[in-house]
Amino acid sequence: MNTEENINEQKAENAIKHQGFLGSKPLVEFKGVTKRFGDTCVMDEMDLQMREDDRLVIIGPSGSGKSTLLRVLMGLEPIDKGEIHFDSKPYVSVDSKGRTQTDLATRSKVGMVFQHYTLFPHLSVLGNMTLSPVKVHGMGRSEAEDRAREYLGRLGMEDKLNSYPGKLSGGQKQRVAIARALMLEPKLMLFDEVTSALDPEMVAEIEKVMLDLAKQKMAMMIVTHDMYFAKKIATESVFIAGGKVVEKCDPEIMFNEPKEERTKDFLNKVLHLK
Amino acid sequence: MNYTFDFSVLLGNFGPLFEGLQTTLLLALGANVLGLTFGFVVCLMAMASLWFLRLPAKLFIEFFRCTPVLIQVVWFFYCVPILFNVFFDPITMGILALGLNLIAFNAEAYRAGIQAVPKEHHDACVALGLGPWNKTVHVIFPQALRNAIPVLMTNGITILQQSALVAIVAVADLMYAGKMLATDTYRPLEVFTAVAVIYFLMSLPISQVVTFLERRQDASVER
Repeated sequence: MNTEENINEQKAENAIKHQGFLGSKPLVEFKGVTKRFGDTCVMDEMDLQMREDDRLVIIGPSGSGKSTLLRVLMGLEPIDKGEIHFDSKPYVSVDSKGRTQTDLATRSKVGMVFQHYTLFPHLSVLGNMTLSPVKVHGMGRSEAEDRAREYLGRLGMEDKLNSYPGKLSGGQKQRVAIARALMLEPKLMLFDEVTSALDPEMVAEIEKVMLDLAKQKMAMMIVTHDMYFAKKIATESVFIAGGKVVEKCDPEIMFNEPKEERTKDFLNKVLHLK
Repeated sequence: MNYTFDFSVLLGNFGPLFEGLQTTLLLALGANVLGLTFGFVVCLMAMASLWFLRLPAKLFIEFFRCTPVLIQVVWFFYCVPILFNVFFDPITMGILALGLNLIAFNAEAYRAGIQAVPKEHHDACVALGLGPWNKTVHVIFPQALRNAIPVLMTNGITILQQSALVAIVAVADLMYAGKMLATDTYRPLEVFTAVAVIYFLMSLPISQVVTFLERRQDASVER
């Protein structure tokens, strides 16, 4: 498989770069981010870095705050303490009154795909894709439609341009959701369990789309329960538990010989190893 | 059964019933125009974060939901003219009385429609950079309206039935015309049967449309 070879090459390249910290700048930096839901602390002074050519896979037990991490980065959840830098510029911070400040211009460089597609059912595929570019980013309608056609074409869905989401399969809906996020040309894509709601035979088609994106060197942060896919796509993996980063390393190391006991326990459970 | 039905009494008397029917349709139409427009306004007020918008709207809705329509109609026809020294022609008063009731119920229908839009869609709007205005106008309201249409239509037919109540304050609607005819002919059973059939035939097509829409919406449940 061409894609896979390409990705393995890239991975090797990245591994070399990261050892010497060459070439790649940090894209996302969490600095002491704390996030509480009532009494539960889902992020406890968390530090986390991601480089601009990384594909970071986040794994961890349920309730460990994997999705919250992505939601915070998308500006969907306020934080209690700490700050996040994006592209070496302040992005999310907490002011003196405890309110979360989010830089909207930076937020528009982050795209997100959700578990439940979240296509707007009253708009056609084209309508879903052109809504934000036209209404928010002032793109001309015909230009937006051309771009939508191009993205859908890449995903093999140009014939569904005028279909409504209700007529699409789960896999097709999720492909449109990915294309809709790409329309805004984000620098970072967040994938929050995007295959969890899909029937098994549709998982592969979405994973292929994501591997294609990886080939185009899109920076991604991925929360997934599929450890095999995680290993395949990631250039970097992080295991979080109890609101902290327990282990962050190359996926080859994480999945084969994790250092931390908690990582081992977790991987043994999910990979059904003895 | 000792009673022998004789529907022939109706034969020469469709004229007054038809006139009554026109008034009934006017009442229902007027009340629905008020209900659909101001119901939306009241819904927005009831969902506002400012208490001086929210509180009056909530009071208004609860008042009309928690009192019988019959009392609302009587109260409106007798108390409002005394309290505020205004009285329009009976049909306008009827439209206003029924309309206020429908505004309250439609406001609730709109609210339920808005709240039925999945939370994830609000998140998706943030992820797509849609601000509050664009989110409301292009994503939330169109979906909310689609969600609310079956209930709005059901409320609409309900008010058509309930418009019969204004007959007790002498508005010459279908029910009133039926009452007069029943007294004139001494044949209340035949006359009221005919009146019931007319109400039924007016409502049935709309309720069929509602059933169709609900079935279609169930089929395309979408997150």
